[in-house]
Amino acid sequence: MNEKQTEQKVTLATKDLHAWFDDFHAVKGISVEYPEKTINAVIGPSGCGKSTYLRCLNRIHEEVPGAKASGEVSLLGQNIYAPHVDPVELRRNIGMVFQKPNPFPNMTIFENVVIGLKLQGYSKKSYLLEVAEHCLKKAALWEEVKDKLNRPGTSLSGGQQQRLCIARALAVNPPVLLMDEPTSALDPIASAKIEELMTELKKEFTVIVVTHNMQQAARIADYTSFLVLGELIEHGLSSQIFTNPKEQKTEDYVTGRFG
Amino acid sequence: MSYLQYRKLKNILFLGSLYMSALIALLPLFLILQYLILKGATSLNLDFFLHDPSPVGEAGGGMRHAIVGTLYMVGIGSLISVPIGLLCGIYLAEFGRGKTAKILRFTIDMLTGIPSIIIGIFAYILIVAPLQSFSALAGGFALSIIILPIVTRSTEEILKLVPTHIREAGLALGLPRWRVIFQIIVKGNFKSLITGIMLAVSRAAGETAPLLFTAFGNMYLNFQISEPMASLPVQIYTYAISPFDQWQEQAWAAAFVLITIVLGINLVSRALVNNKMIIGQSKRVINHTRLIRKKKGN
Repeated sequence: MNEKQTEQKVTLATKDLHAWFDDFHAVKGISVEYPEKTINAVIGPSGCGKSTYLRCLNRIHEEVPGAKASGEVSLLGQNIYAPHVDPVELRRNIGMVFQKPNPFPNMTIFENVVIGLKLQGYSKKSYLLEVAEHCLKKAALWEEVKDKLNRPGTSLSGGQQQRLCIARALAVNPPVLLMDEPTSALDPIASAKIEELMTELKKEFTVIVVTHNMQQAARIADYTSFLVLGELIEHGLSSQIFTNPKEQKTEDYVTGRFG
Repeated sequence: MSYLQYRKLKNILFLGSLYMSALIALLPLFLILQYLILKGATSLNLDFFLHDPSPVGEAGGGMRHAIVGTLYMVGIGSLISVPIGLLCGIYLAEFGRGKTAKILRFTIDMLTGIPSIIIGIFAYILIVAPLQSFSALAGGFALSIIILPIVTRSTEEILKLVPTHIREAGLALGLPRWRVIFQIIVKGNFKSLITGIMLAVSRAAGETAPLLFTAFGNMYLNFQISEPMASLPVQIYTYAISPFDQWQEQAWAAAFVLITIVLGINLVSRALVNNKMIIGQSKRVINHTRLIRKKKGN
């Protein structure tokens, strides 16, 4: 398996990444590499900084008042924390899906999907429609919404809304898709659909998913990182993390002895 | 009396007092409306809207000049305060964490509490005294101070209801902050914001005290911003305390017209949001039941 790892291109890598909320040191020096076209899970007990860590990867963490981050995150070889990088510009190239489905309430299903493209200056309706269909198909939502693209995005069910948010994130064709507990607000059936979708998305995108559901990580992730109190305890192939962890803490957590 | 009977009696007494208070709270509005319709609507005719006052003792005449004056000065007040109020509200809701915001919020709250006659005096000192003339401008300015805090606070309250994750969704898509604010948050709550503005405007339309010694009053139709101008509330005041029966009747009619304008704006703006609110609420209820079901399932 190690051979495979070296063969694969690295899409995203963090190097000594730290994050703070005012004086609280939430993420303490995490260095991980995410190979192309893989699903990478980040697990850990509540409050371990896994969401904060994820939010550093598209620099949305720093939008919270009092929050700051330092270190290096390289996206396709470019350090996104370099001084000349505009975070707004950067976020257009990284997709993000949140815990709660959050389609824009004042926009239709169609508008929700293409808002990212519109921002980049695409305005031709036929092209936008084409992309919307493509993305909704990729998000496994097309069949359910093709006749009601002009209905508000919030008229859909929770699971559908989450898939709409995935379609919205995919529209700009980002190399990386960040997902912050994407299924925790959904029922088991909707969750299963999202998981299935993620394994499909893996064929084209690098997915990094924060989850508090260890079974989910074990089911879908190629690699898993385990965080406790802002520190990376262990990172490796999911099969190894869940069956033969090197660290005692990891073993305790995945076997349910703590966390 | 058994314990059960005693409990039932207490229940009835308490419920009864609730209904009574509700009824008493309803009474004033209905009594006012009843009086105004009985007294005001009967003295109302087409001339009232089409003519200016006629000299004392002559029949006929109307209050075209006061209706126009009220709309004119409320217009000036809104032009000044609605943009400022909206922007202040947006600032407070989106960035309002620091010391500046705290001071602004406190100032705005204080402003709401200032008696309107004081606002009139302030406008008098600031505009009437230097220009040495009562004017529509001074009246409009005084009304703008009434409008400003209401628009600011209603805007802030409305925008604060927008959950953070909607803002984050915008930011994560690479929208700059100002686009998130204007294209998603403000645009998505446009109707509610308009309602806040209309409520502030209708409040200003009914104010008398700020206009008494700013716009002063005028017996003729006036469109000059630098001239004294009539308004419905001041005209009602002048006519109601006059000894002439005909003027008193016209004061009733003016009162009826004024309350129709104010309540009309209120009702229209409420209707505007209500459509939306009902949808929003039912959704929230559904989400709640879903959550509860989920929790029980776990």
